[in-house]
Amino acid sequence: MEILPQLLVNSLISGSIYALASAGLALVYGLLRVLNFAHGHFMMVGAYAFYFLAVEQAYGLPASAAFALLVIVLLAALSFKIFVEPFASLSFFLPFVTTLSLATIFESSVSIIFDVNVKSLTSGFEINSLSFAGIFITPVQIVIILSALVLLGLIAFIIHSTSLGRRIRALSQDDYAGQALGVSKKKINYLVFISGAVLAAYAGILIGYETNLQPTMGNAYTIKAFAAMILGGLGNLWGTIAGAYVLGLVENLSIGIDFWGYSLPAGYKDAFAFVMILLVLLFKPRGLFNKEAREA
Amino acid sequence: MTTETILSVESLSFAVGDLQILNDVHLHVLEGETVGIIGPNGSGKTTLFNCLSGFNSPQKGSIALKGRDISPYEPHKRAIAGLGRVFQNFGIFREMTVGENIILALESRQPIRSTFFPWSKQNRKNVATAREYLKQVGLEDKFGDKAGSLSGGQMRLLEIIRTLAFGAELFLLDEPTAGVAPKLKNNVASLIVKLQELGKTVLIIEHDLNFIQKFCTRIIVLDQGRVVLDDAPEKVRESRLLQEIYFGNASE
Amino acid sequence: MEYFIHLIIIIGIYLILAQSFNLTLGLGLLFNLAHVSVYAVGAYVTALLATELGMGFFGCLVCSVLICGLFAIILGAISIKLKEDYFAIGTLAFSSVISALLINWKSLTHGVLGIPGIPRPEFSFLKVDFYDNINFLVLTYVLVAITFFMLYLFFNNFFARTLRAQSEFRQATKALGKNTRLTRNMSFFIASCFAGLAGSLYAYYINYIDPSSFSLTEMIFVLTVVVVGKPGSFWGCVFGTVFLVLLPEPLRFTRDVPLALEWLFGMPYPQISAIPVLGWLITPVVSFLLYASRPSVLGPMRQMLYAVILFIVVYFRREALFPVQRRV
Repeated sequence: MEILPQLLVNSLISGSIYALASAGLALVYGLLRVLNFAHGHFMMVGAYAFYFLAVEQAYGLPASAAFALLVIVLLAALSFKIFVEPFASLSFFLPFVTTLSLATIFESSVSIIFDVNVKSLTSGFEINSLSFAGIFITPVQIVIILSALVLLGLIAFIIHSTSLGRRIRALSQDDYAGQALGVSKKKINYLVFISGAVLAAYAGILIGYETNLQPTMGNAYTIKAFAAMILGGLGNLWGTIAGAYVLGLVENLSIGIDFWGYSLPAGYKDAFAFVMILLVLLFKPRGLFNKEAREA
Repeated sequence: MTTETILSVESLSFAVGDLQILNDVHLHVLEGETVGIIGPNGSGKTTLFNCLSGFNSPQKGSIALKGRDISPYEPHKRAIAGLGRVFQNFGIFREMTVGENIILALESRQPIRSTFFPWSKQNRKNVATAREYLKQVGLEDKFGDKAGSLSGGQMRLLEIIRTLAFGAELFLLDEPTAGVAPKLKNNVASLIVKLQELGKTVLIIEHDLNFIQKFCTRIIVLDQGRVVLDDAPEKVRESRLLQEIYFGNASE
Repeated sequence: MEYFIHLIIIIGIYLILAQSFNLTLGLGLLFNLAHVSVYAVGAYVTALLATELGMGFFGCLVCSVLICGLFAIILGAISIKLKEDYFAIGTLAFSSVISALLINWKSLTHGVLGIPGIPRPEFSFLKVDFYDNINFLVLTYVLVAITFFMLYLFFNNFFARTLRAQSEFRQATKALGKNTRLTRNMSFFIASCFAGLAGSLYAYYINYIDPSSFSLTEMIFVLTVVVVGKPGSFWGCVFGTVFLVLLPEPLRFTRDVPLALEWLFGMPYPQISAIPVLGWLITPVVSFLLYASRPSVLGPMRQMLYAVILFIVVYFRREALFPVQRRV
């Protein structure tokens, strides 16, 4: 199949996006056992902030990106303080519900401020695909793949080779022991949550060049980040990232390949992630890479 | 009159990963016996109960209740077969009222249609029966209170009397005096004696040796997943082995 | 007056939807986020059977109810395997699959175009015109009454007790001889059947359905209703439904606020805003209300209102809202 290399490249692109989106989610879950429903919405808000600065206000790209991410840092800090912190130590369901309401608040605010019509980051100009060896790829897509590698590498370095990373790992594994050793749980919580949101927002900005912006786009990405986490095992950071790339692969192969002459319409691409979640949950609930069982 | 063996455990072994928690446990209990189970923390006592109840699946061994092999049975089937369980961390339902806890237990052996309509005759009978049971443990006036408002000792009494109302014949009591104020320990003791008088078989996990030797005819010592001692209380109390397990070898 | 009748009918439909959700979430602490998707399926089944096959009212209703009941099998299968957090995600994924099917299976569902022209019910034995909303209101509340009678039973009998017990300490419930798996599956079945009923009624009322009426927003609404009315409380859910359906309605009429103020103060609005202190308070509030009532903003505003209320209620009740589950 001649299109296989293209599909693989597309998988890499999708996988990179999902990896950036889900890394933050996995870290937060590992630390707080909290599933942040609003995670995808940080992507959306990041994209819209960037849109506002770069397109509507016409500031330069790097400055817009920097400011947009700064806005996200503030929003994430506030979100954590109001919607997550007071509830994280209580019953599991509470942060679930509060982040759900946070997600809705983000969505409706953006709908009100920007209106519900679809927005584009690329109106007025075309991004030309480059072509190597029969594969088409745009500069943005190259940025996606490369920056994902760089950022993931950075995360790997921080987690495994710095004292900060050690503290995060300690707290993830054992709440009380970590704190007993003098680690400030509060600061780490904020740091991890904000970093996760910033990663997601960055991914959101990049996606903005691939698809159009809509206030409702957050949900699908939250669910895909969940899918990556479930594939890799909840709380398992590298499993999640691997899961993200697997998800990207499966998604692209599912619509790209002809199954006995019948190929899945592109509209079902998203649904594939959802079906995968279900299948994995039903047959391998601990994820493809996890050891501990999490059965009812 | 011959006494039947009510519980028969053979070669029970249970491991989690590399950790062997129960190692070749043999246990036979006759109807009406009261058996104490002691041992240091981590010796597998609660796990043994969990295997009996059906919450853990042993890799090896068999469990028979009243002569019937219950190994393939799910926990609720074993309960209906006569197995009662009182949990270490309090198995009463705090959000339900004291009365509802008992009524829940009574309903298990009643046909669905009799309690389908909340105003049915069976429901009214259950309320009256529940009150009778609560009277036996002095909790009758707490009938409409949330079970979570009770003290530890009262919760324990409620759980035991609930298991009686359920109709269990073999009682697995996991540390019944944990979290119970000293005053109420006697109430728990009297309740256990009442169970004995009713001909029930009782297995008690305890740390308080003084407490259980009052009514146990037999004490089993578990250490590192094995039964190391199975004898009358006085003999167990004086045994060197017991001291070694709990306090280490003094001559070292 | 017509509008008032419309609101009452809407409340009726939501009463069925919310109370059935209350059964699984409130009593059983089961976070079934696919409830609204099952409601959607009920609506689509009725819509398709009524428009394409010309099936009558009872036929469509029964089919909606039963097909939705079948979905409970899937929910049950998900719940057997999964603990709380996994279960919620699983149901979310399941609801997304249903959404995707509704949008993409164009040959069946017409995709985002939706299904128009659903007729109002017709009875062969009763000459009643259900296009008259008052008659439809009666029909709605007959169904509400039947639903509530049945749900009331399941909120107060042996089933309710088992469901509540297993939400707290599943193993202790099993130790009392209860088949908790069967209980959970039954609760999904009952809730899904009623969600299907509500969906069918919705299709018959609005006469046009499309995927957008069944989004996450609906789920948040139902969740807010149950949380506001206290999870597990039968009458609390009624209060929550009525309160939350009616709450954003005043926003439609805020355009009349300046007129009302003019009548009250007896002077033109610009003069009112100029009044020191009082005017400074009134002006921003009125401006905000006018902004909020613009049609393009009304939808998201209502959404935001529900989300904020949900959060406030959860915050102030956070200790007691969902009891911590215990296990051995």
